[in-house]
Amino acid sequence: MTPLQKPHLDYHLTLGIVAMEGRGFEYPSDSFVAENDKIYVTNKSRDYGERGVRVTILDMDSEYFGTFGHYGVSEGQLISPAGITGDGNGNLYVTDDYANMISQFDLEGNFIQRWGTGGSNLGELNGPSGIAVGIDSYIYVSDTKNHRIQIFTLSGDIVSAIGSQGEEEGNFHLPWGVDVGSDGKVSVADWGNNRIQRFDSNGEHVETISAVGTSKSQLNHPSSIVVDSRGNRYIADWGNETVKVLNSSSELIQEMKGQAALSKWASAFLETNKEEGLSRENANLDNLSALEDTEDPHTVSAHIEKLFWSPVSVKLQKENLLLITESNRHRIQVYEIK
Amino acid sequence: MEKIEDEKLELLSHLIRRAGFGATRRELEDYGKYSYEDVVETLVTPKETNWMGDYLVRRFDGEASGMINAPGSARRWIYRMMSSDTPLKEKMTLFWHGIFATGVPKVINGRVLSDQIEMFRDHGLGRFDDLLLRLAKDPAMIVWLDNQENHKNSINENWGRELLELFSMGVGNYSEDDIKECAKAFTGWTIGNTEYMMVRSKRDSDWPYGRIAYHFEYLPNDHDDQTKEFLGHLGNFNGEDIIKVICNRETTAKFIARHLYHFFVADEVPVPSWNEVAPRDEEAIDELVKAYFDTDHNIAGMLSYLFNSDFFKSKNARYKKVKGPAEFAVGLLKLSREFEIPDRDMIPRYRQIGWMGQELNNPPSVEGWHEGQEWVNTGSLIERINFASELLGNQKNAGIKELIDTVEEAITENSTPEQIVDECLTQLGFLKLSSNSKTAVADFANGVEENRAKISGVIRLIGSTREFQMA
Repeated sequence: MTPLQKPHLDYHLTLGIVAMEGRGFEYPSDSFVAENDKIYVTNKSRDYGERGVRVTILDMDSEYFGTFGHYGVSEGQLISPAGITGDGNGNLYVTDDYANMISQFDLEGNFIQRWGTGGSNLGELNGPSGIAVGIDSYIYVSDTKNHRIQIFTLSGDIVSAIGSQGEEEGNFHLPWGVDVGSDGKVSVADWGNNRIQRFDSNGEHVETISAVGTSKSQLNHPSSIVVDSRGNRYIADWGNETVKVLNSSSELIQEMKGQAALSKWASAFLETNKEEGLSRENANLDNLSALEDTEDPHTVSAHIEKLFWSPVSVKLQKENLLLITESNRHRIQVYEIK
Repeated sequence: MEKIEDEKLELLSHLIRRAGFGATRRELEDYGKYSYEDVVETLVTPKETNWMGDYLVRRFDGEASGMINAPGSARRWIYRMMSSDTPLKEKMTLFWHGIFATGVPKVINGRVLSDQIEMFRDHGLGRFDDLLLRLAKDPAMIVWLDNQENHKNSINENWGRELLELFSMGVGNYSEDDIKECAKAFTGWTIGNTEYMMVRSKRDSDWPYGRIAYHFEYLPNDHDDQTKEFLGHLGNFNGEDIIKVICNRETTAKFIARHLYHFFVADEVPVPSWNEVAPRDEEAIDELVKAYFDTDHNIAGMLSYLFNSDFFKSKNARYKKVKGPAEFAVGLLKLSREFEIPDRDMIPRYRQIGWMGQELNNPPSVEGWHEGQEWVNTGSLIERINFASELLGNQKNAGIKELIDTVEEAITENSTPEQIVDECLTQLGFLKLSSNSKTAVADFANGVEENRAKISGVIRLIGSTREFQMA
């Protein structure tokens, strides 16, 4: 019997900086690496304000290519961009969880079309968040507040839906991230039920992942999952502020808490703003001993900057790199998969 | 099910308006299954519950999670108050925020402000000594009152002065020398990475990766370890010793007792006048002072005494307090269930509370807000009535729909306008209106044909009455 492949992830680099507009991110909600190797990052902004909402385009070398999808209700504009994916044929799809719409753009950010109506009937949306395109060329949308996954054609026609509200197998409670693997299996971060659920291409439930590792520690409100072609699962365990790597048998291989260093954009900022840069050099930003009173991971991550804080999305680039988007730290930590 | 006496439900309604944010008839009947004394005990000794609200608000309101600024911190807090099942714990956060008033623009980091509120939530019902010590180490308070600039060789008296004047004993109970000695005892009490955090604060910097929370740090080399004389006590005092001395003083017990009475029983004159104006019920204050010492300075013990006292339970004490803006708004948000799942529309709701006169995390000064009658003026009253009207009038809100359904079921085609008004008041939590207010609302009901429109209109109008502004 062939032993299971055991990928090991090493920290690679960090992308991004907080910025209310232009180059940078503000409360990023998702990222997607397109076939042109550019990274598209959706930003919800501080108070969903007029300046910060946008999709930022950059690459792995931190080269900045501009923004699109700014705040507004007109075609090509977004109010609360929650998720992004692409079809590999030059198209991007962005969910808007306030407007209850999905907007389609080309890789330059030009608007193509949009669809979606608020409601709970089949095909209607209530707070769409995670989004993925399957090998069947259908779009899978986490229809969060309707507690289901809806499946659309690339032009927005409804195909079917999976699940309904509840705690039983096949039910969801406020699902978030969704992924469709190369085998057609659909993986859903069933956020409110503290688990991952997986379905076959017919929508039949095949697996639930809720507790992992030898200590069987419970997933805590997972936000996102991506599965590679070998069946390894990468899970953003949002409530625990960690990322967990599981093999195809759902055995825990690695758990990461984050180790961000300065991105190119962050370094440039601190070099320009010398007073801040110099005082930062004298600071100890890893002082965990000051936090002996708390085990709450959200609190710990608020104090220790390098740790994941609100990891909302895990995405792969060609199965070599894992991109972890952290909403509260306005950055993406990138890990190399070996 | 055994019928619960209306009188008991009316008393419980009074209790939950003061110790929480109000309760509907249905909720009161749940409380009513237990004795009044047991309900008080449950309120003052809240258990940890499996509460999902914090996850919800963090997911659906990003800034309430990252808290770059104060509004995100306040929204997280407001959501917690409206959805928590430990109402007194939440009420105490408002109580302590009003006394230990801390906020922007001096503390620009929303997370740091939120940590202080969490501290009030966790320790606001415990021993006063413990709370005061945690306050002295609280990073938001340290920055708010400049204790990071209080050094062995150059003291800054801000914290020492306010600790005595506004946070424990009140003016007239200490000397200027006591302030200096107090300040010396707290030298070296600062926040970690002071220089970097203060540079960021000065520049309002959230670069490169958002705000970093502060933590307390004690620097022994910057602490004055000379002998100090404080309130007649002599010793090599550190901050902990000062707090012990303060908390054993009767003036401190009186100060806290009067604050509790002011917040939970009846409006007193504004705090700056306390030195000149006697308490409205000196006997009640004396009893609370005794409870302070009998329970080893325990706030829950004092509140247990207060809520079980005749001066609290008296019918004369009901509807005698003006609800603070946050209290008023949270009560309505809880009742209407507008945000069962939070969303971006919480932003305007948060702003409306500010327009009513209480922007959480942004008190007007270190003295906090002047409460009581001063909450209400022409402008703020209009804001309050509009707020109530919007929430109570929206039948899409689950709580309002449920309320109208219940009233509709209870009335008949022969019900008079007065009976419909009474039923609405009962379902809203055994509320009472003056005869003038009731007549005005009944007159409105008389002019509307369709039942649901009539009930909805009556509920909205009740929200605009004088009595609805009162707790």
